[in-house]
Amino acid sequence: MIHVLLITFLITLFYMAIANRMLTYIKILALQGVLLFVVVFIQLEKINTLNLILILLETIVFKSLAVPLFLKHVLKRNRITREAEPFLPNFISLIITTLIIVVTILLSNSINDFKLDKMFFVVALSTIFTGLYIIVSRRKIITHVMGYLVIENGVFVLSLAVGNEMPMLVNLGIMLDIFASVLILGIFLNKIGDVFKDVDVNQLSNLKDY
Amino acid sequence: MLSFILILLASLFFTGIIIRTKSIASGRKGPDLFQPIKDVIRLFKKGAVYSETCSFIFQIAPTIYFASIIMAMLTVPFGQSKGFISFNGDFIFFAYVLALGKFFSIISAMDTGSSFEGMGASREALYSMFAEPAFFILIGSLALLTGHTSFQEIFSSLHLGSYISYALTTLATFVLIMIAMIENSRMPIDDPKTHLELTMIHEVMILDNSGFDLGLIITAGYLKFAIYGALIVNLFIGIVDYQFAIPIFFAIQFLVAISIGLFESFIARFRMSHNAQFIVVLTSVSLLIFFGVLLILGKFI
Repeated sequence: MIHVLLITFLITLFYMAIANRMLTYIKILALQGVLLFVVVFIQLEKINTLNLILILLETIVFKSLAVPLFLKHVLKRNRITREAEPFLPNFISLIITTLIIVVTILLSNSINDFKLDKMFFVVALSTIFTGLYIIVSRRKIITHVMGYLVIENGVFVLSLAVGNEMPMLVNLGIMLDIFASVLILGIFLNKIGDVFKDVDVNQLSNLKDY
Repeated sequence: MLSFILILLASLFFTGIIIRTKSIASGRKGPDLFQPIKDVIRLFKKGAVYSETCSFIFQIAPTIYFASIIMAMLTVPFGQSKGFISFNGDFIFFAYVLALGKFFSIISAMDTGSSFEGMGASREALYSMFAEPAFFILIGSLALLTGHTSFQEIFSSLHLGSYISYALTTLATFVLIMIAMIENSRMPIDDPKTHLELTMIHEVMILDNSGFDLGLIITAGYLKFAIYGALIVNLFIGIVDYQFAIPIFFAIQFLVAISIGLFESFIARFRMSHNAQFIVVLTSVSLLIFFGVLLILGKFI
């Protein structure tokens, strides 16, 4: 069952590579949150109330409700156009994502470690690399936030790969990290939206000394 | 043998069901279920008109196209019963016999010298080129899973046991339906109802065919749908007894036809530039199937 969910997770990465609209990205992020919750829930060996509440807070409330709603609000407030505007065509993005997954699988196949669950490892590593790729290949600042959130999802899966139990400290760390980053980038973006009309990364290259 | 008859029967009503579903979804009553067959019979009664500028290739191409579809149909098994032609590696034969037919339809479109038809031919060649790796990775990974290389042995030893093999079968069904849509030039890739030559793919290639030849090409389209439907059925029936397998066959063909009809009613055709990336998604998904198979076999992890 977990493998099925993890394969679905990989398919959402393909979908993210070819998605055109900002709202689609937000929906994919929400879906990934739900998938992660189900994976962790099945992975739990004994149901500890505190642990369950923490995981519920982190995945469902945070990853699939609060952050998508906040991003939607930011989109609306700054009147960001709905197209994603990648630097490269979506076709090339798709091929690069596929290559990332294939290379990750080949890489993890050469590791001999009994403690490491390789399915989780493959999904985690390819999610992290796809997130990085989304950050470097998209033009808008808000897409960079989304790429960052994909990387966070990857780190979350990676923490499942190394141990059976989720260490609570790691959980708290990830949660704080996402919270701070989204909030700061949101405020930053709001200010940019107020002062300048455009939130295009290309405009930053004009800032140079003469 | 059995599969040949069943596919012929299914092809009689398959396109009719698609058209009827689309009519009902758009609030019309729709034509008779056998109207497509009646259209084809009307075409078969006519002679063909050939342009003076085209050579013998244009005249033989529809026949070869039709014959290639029949050959491909002969290799499809049904549960335990083999197709007419069954040998090790017959899925490669299946794919390339279809490709041969497609090659002839492409060069006959080029032969007419019409600029529209050349454009359609180039699109058809591009999209079927992209769809080919998806099909081979899919069937190849099923062959790896079962350890056999002919259609009949693959499908009869495909056991559904764990969650992951259900997931793989679902993905395989999705990929096969999408390949069927691409091969038949249906909705997300191409709109069969469009009236503008610039946006057509398959229709623009057969603009110059008439009468008997057109009838052959249209019949080949009906058969192709039923062939892919039969492949999907084979994923599920395995070694079920005939008295259950035959109703299941028709039920699944019916479901596939209705879902294609609903899909076509509620979705718009993609932009031409988006088609290529959509088809490559199928290859990526079948790569995931391949790694899932490696996971089941324990070759990885």
